[in-house]
Amino acid sequence: MSLSAEGSAGILIEDVVHSYRGRGKTLTVLDGISLSIKRGEFVALVGPSGCGKTTLLDILSGLIDLQRGRVMVGKVPPAVGRADTARMFARDALLPWRTAYANVDFAMATRNPNRDRRRAVIHALLDDVGLNGFENAYPRQLSQGMRQRVALARTFSLESDFVFLDEPFGALDAQTKLVLQDKLLRLWEKMQSTVVLVSHDLAEAVALADRVVVMSARPGRIAADIAIDLPRPRSVSALQSSSDYHALYARLWGELERATGPALGA
Amino acid sequence: MPGCGASSSGRPVRRWVREVTRSTDNEAIEGADLSDSDKQLRHRLFIVAGRLVLLALVVGSWEALAWTGLVPAAFIGRPSKFLPLLVEQTLNGKFVLAAVDTLSATLMAFALGGILALATALALAVYPTLKELIDPFIDAMNALPRVALVPLFIVWFGLGTLSKVVSGVSLMYFILLYNTLAGAQSVDPDHLQLSRSLGLSRREVFLRIVIPTAIPSIFVGLRLGLVYTLLGVVTAELIAGGKGLGSLISYYSNTFDADGVFAVLLVLIVVAYALSMVMTRIERWLTRWNR
Repeated sequence: MSLSAEGSAGILIEDVVHSYRGRGKTLTVLDGISLSIKRGEFVALVGPSGCGKTTLLDILSGLIDLQRGRVMVGKVPPAVGRADTARMFARDALLPWRTAYANVDFAMATRNPNRDRRRAVIHALLDDVGLNGFENAYPRQLSQGMRQRVALARTFSLESDFVFLDEPFGALDAQTKLVLQDKLLRLWEKMQSTVVLVSHDLAEAVALADRVVVMSARPGRIAADIAIDLPRPRSVSALQSSSDYHALYARLWGELERATGPALGA
Repeated sequence: MPGCGASSSGRPVRRWVREVTRSTDNEAIEGADLSDSDKQLRHRLFIVAGRLVLLALVVGSWEALAWTGLVPAAFIGRPSKFLPLLVEQTLNGKFVLAAVDTLSATLMAFALGGILALATALALAVYPTLKELIDPFIDAMNALPRVALVPLFIVWFGLGTLSKVVSGVSLMYFILLYNTLAGAQSVDPDHLQLSRSLGLSRREVFLRIVIPTAIPSIFVGLRLGLVYTLLGVVTAELIAGGKGLGSLISYYSNTFDADGVFAVLLVLIVVAYALSMVMTRIERWLTRWNR
């Protein structure tokens, strides 16, 4: 199992334990997580709040140091600022003094010194996420959904092999969410990156991912690992009326309840 | 595309954004644009006319109070006296020279205090330990009513321009330093997280995140500082005399000439207002993303 993941230079997570220390108490958030993700795979991590999903994503992005266990992203351990990884946050983190275009460029310029190439890529990306004509708009002038689109374009402008998304659409209304989920799928298909998506929305996880990994409540362990065999390419809005999708969703919901108790997301 | 109106002023993208966001906010009614701007114009006219009436009322009742003797004219002067005095002294150059004297000292103190404050802020940002070390002293100096130092400055630097400038600098420096530091501390943690994930260096984070974040509060400091620098300069002039507007006020009030005092006060108002208008313009341009 570990061999195949390393061979294809996907993501390998072995016996990861992570705890936070504070006021004499030690809080274990990840307790022996092992997971192997193939290159190009789209994996969703779901689970109740506080189960350590984001901590795991932070470890993969190199934002927090590994305490125990072994993690390989590609052929090397995770590190911050690696050219082959990109991270998207729950909040858009757009710089208010930069236009939509300049916000994407802010990130992309750290990876790509060629201004002309950047211009072409950024215009194409903003077009892909439906922001054609808003290149010169400042974040303040954009709706929340539009800001998150800019953040999505910024993430994919890094043209990274590994993309880590932390509840990227958590704060959006249902309609906007569907639109952006489709945009995300199109970008993923185009870039063929390996995606790890943290989500508290089971419907989102089922619609987008190849595999849904269910984590239990704190301390986080892997409770279920379910392949989503819906055909690709998918359309999230078309899935809404697909019975296969709803059957899968119902099955996962059952697994989730069994694994975590009925209080998911509470 | 909603609201493809006929009017085409402003940058097309911004206009479009405005229209799109408006129509998603609450189903904009077709043609609402025109009656909106019509209403706005009428409102604007009402406000301007209202202000003129208000001004006339104040001046009128001021004149009436002084003329009837309800309040002695020796205390409050009379608009019919100090307005002509203002015109006369402005035309013969006396007020103009005094204003130039005050203004040049103010601008010198503003520039000097501003540069010193920004340099200090930069040094404190680069050496956080230094900042930790002197933080309480900055707070204490900022809390001190620094006009209380003016008599001391006059003893140290004499009756001339230098003591006026130092007095202005003492106000400007701490106001701008304080605001700049507060601004630099208000960096959004999300932006730092993003910078980290992109692998930006400390230097890049400072130049591309911290400084732009601090700019709005730097401008608040500059605008506030300018007004207070003028205060510092005029205070020094009131105490030390010399050629500035403060000295004129001091002279007129010592000779019980209320009309003279009010005439100079009007000049001061114009000077202060013009200064802060210029600042606001520059600020608006530099922080146009913030609107």
